[in-house]
Amino acid sequence: MQLGFTRFIKLLLQNLFIQTSWSFTTLQGMGFLANILSGAREDKKELILNNHKGFFNTHPYMSAYIVGAVTRLYDEGKKSPDEIKHFIAIAQTSLASSGDLLFWETIRPSLLIIAVILSLKFGLWGIFGFIIPYNILHLYHRITGILDGYRLGPDIIYLLNSARFKKVQQVFEIVGAIAAGLLILLVQWKNNSLILIPLIPLFISMFIYRLPATFYTISIILIVIIFALL
Amino acid sequence: MNPVLMSFLGGLFILDKYAIGEFGLSQPIIAGTILGAIFGEPKTGIMLGAVIQLIFLGGLPIGRDIPPDAQGAGIVGVGTYLFLKNLNPQDSSLFLAIVLALTAALAGGAMEIYTRRLNEKLYHQFLRKKAHLYLFHYLGLGTAYIRGFVLFFAYFIFARYFIIPGQFLKLNPQLLLIIGIGAGIANGCYLFIKKRTLIFFIVGGLCSLALLVL
Repeated sequence: MQLGFTRFIKLLLQNLFIQTSWSFTTLQGMGFLANILSGAREDKKELILNNHKGFFNTHPYMSAYIVGAVTRLYDEGKKSPDEIKHFIAIAQTSLASSGDLLFWETIRPSLLIIAVILSLKFGLWGIFGFIIPYNILHLYHRITGILDGYRLGPDIIYLLNSARFKKVQQVFEIVGAIAAGLLILLVQWKNNSLILIPLIPLFISMFIYRLPATFYTISIILIVIIFALL
Repeated sequence: MNPVLMSFLGGLFILDKYAIGEFGLSQPIIAGTILGAIFGEPKTGIMLGAVIQLIFLGGLPIGRDIPPDAQGAGIVGVGTYLFLKNLNPQDSSLFLAIVLALTAALAGGAMEIYTRRLNEKLYHQFLRKKAHLYLFHYLGLGTAYIRGFVLFFAYFIFARYFIIPGQFLKLNPQLLLIIGIGAGIANGCYLFIKKRTLIFFIVGGLCSLALLVL
């Protein structure tokens, strides 16, 4: 069973818009439906439209794996819509937590620190230290997500233990840790730079105690005002 | 340089936040640098973008949770500074720009809630007219863009005409960078430091010190 180039491109392009109509009721539901319909066979479209109008939420990049697998399941026609919905319910949760951990908590912040250091030290071109590696990894998951999803069907879940998730995460945790240490390089050491010493534990304690983001933002405004008064 | 053009560009950047692709172009360091370069102030764009990026490095959009709008803050920070410094001293412009950027992060997060409620209406329209799925889905681009444009325009029009009083607070760029670095290191420690990665953080810190000494 083959996906075909045209259907693959349609699924991939539509996958870039999966969060466009993000709402509190269905989260990415409408985007997911639009995505699987874009690559569905004509005779399956009505069935898909009637069965996938509800809630869907996962990591946007990881959604490609589910889109590929669901397209496969509808092409085969062996599973009922309820069985497919059951698979989606399981897969979206697993892929959401893996994607959040891999991209939002590891790859993105680590590469952003690198881009900040490169930009402040070398100027304009530093931003490519983020844009290029980040989008290679991002598009890799979108592209292989659809292809592997279609190839493996529901077994796509087992890919979560593969190197593309575990190893990459471990590598970027190390990259992030080194980059965080390298931030000290940006300090221009003068007397007032010593303020950095109490600031770091203050911010860390806010994160550890999981204070609300609004509280954190208002605290920074207050710190800026105090610094301006010094 | 006028507020409409800057808001128009800012609105395009903000589409990247979640409406199209998420290529990372809306991140403060990226959008700030590009906006600064477009309007002839790349260094300012990099500095403000970097500080706001480091402050909001750990803002994670997980599930229904909406963190402060770091992307909006980056664009507001750079844009308002560029407008403010035309009529005002640089140090007080910097102070006001960063405060406005941080308030924009909160305002942007609140506006995102309304955007998503508007998108709910699009979803209910779709349930009534199933044949128009793609129309209602892509109208989400409009709600995301309008949110960004309205947010930016309100801040930029204020910054374009506001005259800062003579006794107003001033902020040294170095001190601002220190706040950013402090928040960035704290975010980095929180996200990356575990038993097996602690040594790498120490290596990074020692390399920094060695490079500073050299």
